Amino acid sequence: MKEKIGVYICHCGGNISDYVDVEELSKMFLAEENVIISKDVMFACADSNQKAMVNDIKENNLDAIVVASCSPKLHLHTFKNVASRAGINPTNYVQVNIREQCSWPHSDKPKDATLKAAGLIRAGINRVSHSESLDNIEIQVKRAVLVVGAGVAGMKAAIDLARLGNDVYLVEKDYFVGGRIAQSEKLFMSGQKGKDIIAKLFAEVKSYANITLFTGATIEKVTGSLGNFHVDINIKPLYIQSNANPTTLKAAMNDCPITVDDEFSFGFKKRKAIYKNYDEACPDVPVVDVEALRDADEFLAKYASIFDFTQQDAVLSLHAGSVLVSTGFDSYQPKEGEYGYKTVPNVVTLPEFNKLMALSPDKLVFNNKTIKSVAFIYCVGNRQAKGENKYCSRQCCTSAIYTSIQLNENYKNITAYHLFRDIRTYGKQEILYEKSSKQGDIYIRYDEKEPPVVAQGAKAIQIKVKDFLTSKKELEVEADMLVLVTGMVARDDSKLISEKFKIPIGNDKFFNEIHPKLKPVETVIKGVYIGGACQGPKNISESVQSSLSAAAKINALLKGGTVSLDPIIARVNNDLCVWCGKCAEVCEYTAIKEVEEGDKHIARVNEAICTGCGICAPVCKPNAIEIAQYTDMEIESLIDGFMQEVTLTDKETESHEEAENETLKMKEFPQMWKNILQSIDGGKKNIPQIAEEISVDTDIVTYHVMTMNKYNVVMADGMDEKEAYYFYKRKN
Amino acid sequence: MAIVNHEFANEIIQYGAKEFKACFNCGTCTAICNLTEKNANFPRIFIRKGILGQKEEILQSKELWLCYACGDCSVNCPRQAAPGEYMAAMRRYAIAGYEPTGLTKLIFKSNPLSIVITLLLAMVLGFFLFTMKPEMEVARWIFKYLPYEIIHTMGLIIFSFTGLSMVWGMLAMIFKLRKIAPKESKTKKSFFKALSAVIAEMAMMKRYRVCDEEEDSFWLKKPLMMRPWAVHWAIMWGFIGLLIATALDFAFKDPATTYWLPSRLLGTIAGILLVYGASMAIIYRRKKITRTYQQTTLADQMLLFFLWIAGITGFWLEVAVFIDADTIVNHIVFVIHTIISMELVLLFAFSKFAHAIYRPIALFFYNKS
Repeated sequence: MKEKIGVYICHCGGNISDYVDVEELSKMFLAEENVIISKDVMFACADSNQKAMVNDIKENNLDAIVVASCSPKLHLHTFKNVASRAGINPTNYVQVNIREQCSWPHSDKPKDATLKAAGLIRAGINRVSHSESLDNIEIQVKRAVLVVGAGVAGMKAAIDLARLGNDVYLVEKDYFVGGRIAQSEKLFMSGQKGKDIIAKLFAEVKSYANITLFTGATIEKVTGSLGNFHVDINIKPLYIQSNANPTTLKAAMNDCPITVDDEFSFGFKKRKAIYKNYDEACPDVPVVDVEALRDADEFLAKYASIFDFTQQDAVLSLHAGSVLVSTGFDSYQPKEGEYGYKTVPNVVTLPEFNKLMALSPDKLVFNNKTIKSVAFIYCVGNRQAKGENKYCSRQCCTSAIYTSIQLNENYKNITAYHLFRDIRTYGKQEILYEKSSKQGDIYIRYDEKEPPVVAQGAKAIQIKVKDFLTSKKELEVEADMLVLVTGMVARDDSKLISEKFKIPIGNDKFFNEIHPKLKPVETVIKGVYIGGACQGPKNISESVQSSLSAAAKINALLKGGTVSLDPIIARVNNDLCVWCGKCAEVCEYTAIKEVEEGDKHIARVNEAICTGCGICAPVCKPNAIEIAQYTDMEIESLIDGFMQEVTLTDKETESHEEAENETLKMKEFPQMWKNILQSIDGGKKNIPQIAEEISVDTDIVTYHVMTMNKYNVVMADGMDEKEAYYFYKRKN
Repeated sequence: MAIVNHEFANEIIQYGAKEFKACFNCGTCTAICNLTEKNANFPRIFIRKGILGQKEEILQSKELWLCYACGDCSVNCPRQAAPGEYMAAMRRYAIAGYEPTGLTKLIFKSNPLSIVITLLLAMVLGFFLFTMKPEMEVARWIFKYLPYEIIHTMGLIIFSFTGLSMVWGMLAMIFKLRKIAPKESKTKKSFFKALSAVIAEMAMMKRYRVCDEEEDSFWLKKPLMMRPWAVHWAIMWGFIGLLIATALDFAFKDPATTYWLPSRLLGTIAGILLVYGASMAIIYRRKKITRTYQQTTLADQMLLFFLWIAGITGFWLEVAVFIDADTIVNHIVFVIHTIISMELVLLFAFSKFAHAIYRPIALFFYNKS
C-alpha cells in the first residue's frame, strides 16, 4: 500500500482544461489521505515540469506517481523515465488518459467529462497504491545459433554469426548446400552462376571452425526457449564409408550402371544412382540412391570398399541460444492443364526453361524441335484476386526478362513474346526491361479477367490473347515454346517447421514476422528469427539482407550472455495451484509446464517464454495465476475507484464561453510563453518573426500563440504588408 | 484474330525509326501531342501496331498523315523511343506501300541506291532533253549510238510511269481508307464540306500551326516567319506557284522576257517563297535546331536540295534571259534547272514529296468522318 502518492493533472494547453475542470480535480484529490501532492500543470510533458516532478518526488519522498494527461502511447515512457530519474521503480507509475478519453470525445458535455476524468484518476490512484516494484528478468543465454536451411540466406547469416564469435549449427535438409540458388543458373543482374556463388560461400563456411554443418538433416524436436533451445536433429546416412578413397568414389560414380531421372534438373537429364546434384556440388561427397541400386549386385560387389549399408539415421541434440529459420521457398507448380502445362507439348515453367537453356549451350532444341520463338506468360499462380496466391513474387518479372535477354545472347534469331499483366522490374532491374524491349522483345499486356488461351497448333503453340494496350484487340501469337513465369510459394514442409518452432503462418502460408516495418525479422517466439524467402517472396539480395539483419539481431541478443526481459508475466501461487493443466492447455507459447514441488504437482511459468498475455489467468479455477502489474488487487481497486461517487462544486452558472474570455489565471507562464512575450515586447511581431527571433519552429510558435490568444495573453494587431500573417502584441 | 508479326519491326527500322522498339506504352507521346483528340491514343497506338506487325492497319490509317512531326513526343519520351521519328518512318512506309513499283522502297531503305536512281534518272532526262533539240552537236553525237526514237520513247514512258504510279498510289490509299471508314455515322459530313475543309487546311495549315504553338515550345518565342509552319507553307505554295507559272509559260509557248507579265510575276514571287523555305529547312537540318531536325534521311535531304537548286537556277535564268546572255554557262544552268525540275516531278510518286497527295486524301477522310 502506497502512502505518499503524487498526482499531476495536465491542461495540455487547453486541450484538456477547456472541457475538464482540472483545477477542481487537483483540489479534490489533495483531500485523499494517501495523496501528498496534487497539481494541475499547463504541460505535464514540458521539460520544466518534468524537473519539478523529480524535485517533488525527492523532497516529499513520494513512493508512487499518477499523471492524468494524454494517451500512454504518447508519454508512458516519458513519465516512467521521470520516475526512474527520481529513484522510484517505474512500475509504480500509472498514466491516466483524460484527453483522448474525456476532453476530446465529451467536449459537448464539460461537466460529464470532468466527472469521468475524476473517476479515471481515482481509479489510477487506487491502482498505483497497490502496485509493486518489479525488476526486469535476467536470463542466461547460450552463445550458439541454430540456422535452419543452408541456402544463400542461411549460409551468409551463419558466416557472419560465426565471425562475430557465436557457435553456429547449420542444418540442411538436402545432402548438398545451396538450395534454390544452386539449382538456378545465371542470376540477374550480375550474370554470376548460382553454383559459383554457393561454392564460394561453402569455402567460407568451411573456413570457420565454429560453424558445424549438418546435411541430410531434419528438425525432429524442439524444446526450451530464448537463450536455451534444445533441438534434436535427425541425420540421414550417406551409405558411404567415411574413409572411402576419393578416386574409387569417382570411379564408382562414373561406372554406376543405373541411371534415373534427375529431379535436380527437372528430369531434363539422367543421373547415376550414386550421385551429386551437379559436379561441383558441396560438400564433395556423393550420395547413394539405395532404392535404385537394389539389384545392381555386380556393381555393389565391385565397389564394396566404399559402401557401408550398416549406417543408420542418427539423432543429435543441439543446444542453442537462438534460432534463425531460413528454409526458403518452393517454385509454384502449375496444375495440369493450366496454360497447357503437361497437356500441350513444349510448355514448361521458368525454372525448368532456365535449366533447359543451361543444358543446351549452342542450339535450343526441345522435343526434337529447334526453338525459334518463345512466349512467356507472366504471373502464373500469382496475383490471383480470387485464387490462392494473391501476392506478387517480386522477382519473376526480372527473372523472365533476364532469361529473354540470355536467349538473344546465346542463340541467334529467337523471338520472345512476353504476355504480362504488369512489369515490375523495380529499382536497377528496370535497365533489363529496357534492354529487352530494345532487342525487339514483344510485350503484350493481358487482363487477369481474360487470360491467354493456349492450344496446340499445326506447327507451333497457338496463344490467343486480348491486348490491353491496343483496346483489347484479339491477337494470336505462335510460339515454338511457352514458358510459364511462375512465382514463389511457401515450402510444402514449412508447416512442419512452423509447428516445431511455433512460428505463426500467414494467409499466404509464409512465416510471419511481428511487424513488417519495425520488427521485420523477429517472430512472436522470443529468440526465433526468420530470414530469406521463407518469410515471403524475395530476390537473392533481399533474402540475404533479411538474414543478415536477423544475424545482427541474434548477435546483439546473445553477445552479453544474459537477456533482460519485461517483468510483466504470469505468476503461479504455489500454495493455491492444484495442477489441473488448464493453463498449459490455453497457453499459445507453451510457457507453462507441470513440475513437481515438494509433494505435489504444480504449474511453472517459463519466464523466458511468457509474454504476459494473460490468457491463463481467467481459466485458473483456484485463482492461482495472476499477471504482474495486473493483479486482482490492482484491477479490483481500480474498478472500485472508478465507481466511487464524485461530487463537484456547483459551477453551473459559469458558462463555457465566459471561461474562455476570462484572462488565464496562471501562477507562472510556461517558458515558451515567456520567450514569446519577451520577443513581442519590443513591438508587434508576426509568427515567422517570433519563430526566427527565439529560434523555434513556426508550427510550435503558432500553437502557443493560438493558445495565448485564446486566454487573452496576446491579441492580434493588424496584418503584415502581404496580408499573410497577423501581428501580435501583449494584451494588458 | 490478328497474328502477331515480329519481323515487321525490323522493316520499319529500315525506314528510319531506329529506336521505336524501346516503347513501353506509357502514353506520354499521346498526352504531350497538341493534335491528340478525344480517342486519345495517337501516336501511342501506332507504335503498338508497328510492334505487333499490323501492316494492313497502318496502311489503312488516316491518322498517320495528321501528324506534322513537331517532335514534342520524341523530346519527352521516357524511353527515348522517338515516336516522332517513328511516325515519319511510318509515312515513308505508307508511301512505299501505296505505290506499286517498289521503287520507293529502294530509295528509302538504301542511300546508295537512292543516289544511283537519282543519277540514272538525271542521265535519262538529260538525253531526253536532247531529243527536244536534236540539231545540237552533242545530241547528234549521242544519236549516233542510241537512236532518237528509243530515247524519246523512253522519256515518255518514264513520265507516264510516274503518272500512273501516282494515280495507282492515290487509288490504293483511297481504297484502303474507305475500307475502315465508318459507313453510317451521325457526325458524317458531306463530300463538299469535307473537301472545303481540306482546301482550307491546305491553304493555311492551321493544324500545323497548332504544333508550333505548344506551351513552352522552342518556336513560340521565334517570329512567325521562322517557324516550321511558315517554312513549310513557303515551300509548298512556292512550288505550286512555280508549277502554275511554268504551265502558263508552256501554254503560251513564250518564255516571257518581260517581268511584269502575270505568269512571270507569279513565278518570281513563288520562286522567292520556295528558295526562302528550302534554305530555312536546309539550315535547320544542318544546325539540327530542334529534335525534329536531328534525324533526317538522305532522300529527304536530297529533295530539299533539289528544290533549292531548282529555285536558284530559275532566278539565274530569269536574269540571264532578261539581259539576253547567250553563254555556255547559262546553257549549262538551263540544263541543270530543267533536269532537276523534271526530276522533282518524276520522283514525286517515289519520295517524301508524295505526301502532297496523300496528306490531303487523309485529311479528306478525317474531315468526312
